[in-house]
Amino acid sequence: MSTCHELSEVYELYALGVLDGEEATALAEHIRTGCPTCSSGVQEALISAALLATMPEQVEPPTRLRKRILDNIGPEKSSAAWAWMSLWAAATAALLIGVIFLNTERSKNDRELAQLRFEVRRDALNLINAHMALEFLDAPETKTVTFGQGKPQPPHGRVLVNAKRGVMLIVANLPPAPAGKIYEMWLIPKGRPPQPAGLFQTDEQGTAMYVREGTLDLANTDAVAVSLEPQRGSLAPTTTPLFVAATSGL
Amino acid sequence: MMSSVVYASTLADDSKWKTRLSFPDDSALAERLRNREPQAMADLYDRYGRLAYSLIYRIVHNASVAEDLVQETFLRVWNQVRAFDPQRGALSPWLLTVARNRAIDYLRSVDNRVSQRTFELEKIEHPATFATAEQDILNLDRIRLLKDAFTKLTDQQRVVIEMAYYEGLSQSEMAERIKQPLGTVKTWVRSALKILRRQLGAEAAI
Repeated sequence: MSTCHELSEVYELYALGVLDGEEATALAEHIRTGCPTCSSGVQEALISAALLATMPEQVEPPTRLRKRILDNIGPEKSSAAWAWMSLWAAATAALLIGVIFLNTERSKNDRELAQLRFEVRRDALNLINAHMALEFLDAPETKTVTFGQGKPQPPHGRVLVNAKRGVMLIVANLPPAPAGKIYEMWLIPKGRPPQPAGLFQTDEQGTAMYVREGTLDLANTDAVAVSLEPQRGSLAPTTTPLFVAATSGL
Repeated sequence: MMSSVVYASTLADDSKWKTRLSFPDDSALAERLRNREPQAMADLYDRYGRLAYSLIYRIVHNASVAEDLVQETFLRVWNQVRAFDPQRGALSPWLLTVARNRAIDYLRSVDNRVSQRTFELEKIEHPATFATAEQDILNLDRIRLLKDAFTKLTDQQRVVIEMAYYEGLSQSEMAERIKQPLGTVKTWVRSALKILRRQLGAEAAI
């Protein structure tokens, strides 16, 4: 088993996302177990690596770039907005039947959360930090909504929302995105276009668990959705959603 | 007397270009971003847009792609800033890490090098990772130390560090690229990092 001293030689490589092999596994495990030496070492390496960003010759960006960025902050006009809202409205009506309310079905949810915890440990999904996922699941204010249940076609799963922690998506029966594509999660605020909420990929079994961390305005979030997008993701959905989980009313 | 704003010249020592690297009120700017003030995003771009663009352009060597990736960088910061604690972190290292990682993601997608490491980058650049960064981490003294440290590297050491940072290559990928044994590449990388750490560590002793 690698020691912190041995792993300290590769903190920078890990911080740059270029460490592979046994060293990467060993260091990731140290961090996952909360090793303070390795965690702080990687953090320092990450921050020092930012200094390298100052090395390249400075190039003036195109003047239009500023406006492009600022225009994207405001409400977006999407030609697919109506299609999305229509699909979301239909999904909401169907999904309301399957919405789980923790304050009325707590014992059932406890069993389901325990099952989810078992799945996390058993499947050891590599897409997120398992420790972080368990904290999310254990948080008392976490609420759950299912989607795709009882439907003959994939995918299906659960969306867990927590106003303090963010959104966790657990999905099954979703084939891995083809080359050049990736799955993108969206948060749909009330009366506003979908907002990008991160990229993820499924494993060979078609399962994935993805956490979008950060506070969540639960009262003003209507739904969580996923679509297939180009590899680098999109600022607005370019395809119709694969599934939509309504979160309003939770 | 130095102003409260820190400037630094570029590696080219072109006095025309002075890159502003840290601002005393970045924590206030972060708070404004968290409060969703559109003007805050304008201020963020005015402060770090050129730095981010220059970095990304250096990596992808394509102006159009660099433009797209800078936009993605700032949008990502906008979307994730709520998880950023302005009282405990520095905005610029986080933003520049996001910028660099977007460029590396692009290179990997073009070269079909998407792997688990791609998703590791997502975790690494999480705002909480920068929670204890000093506010003035990008200061002139440290940049000069880093620049001096690079002059102390051998050609091989410099090449492997640049391959790691500007191309996102692992040591095994480097070895394949430059047709050298993996052990040799690892030696170059470790010795280069030791030199860089020693130089940057010297700043703390000043």
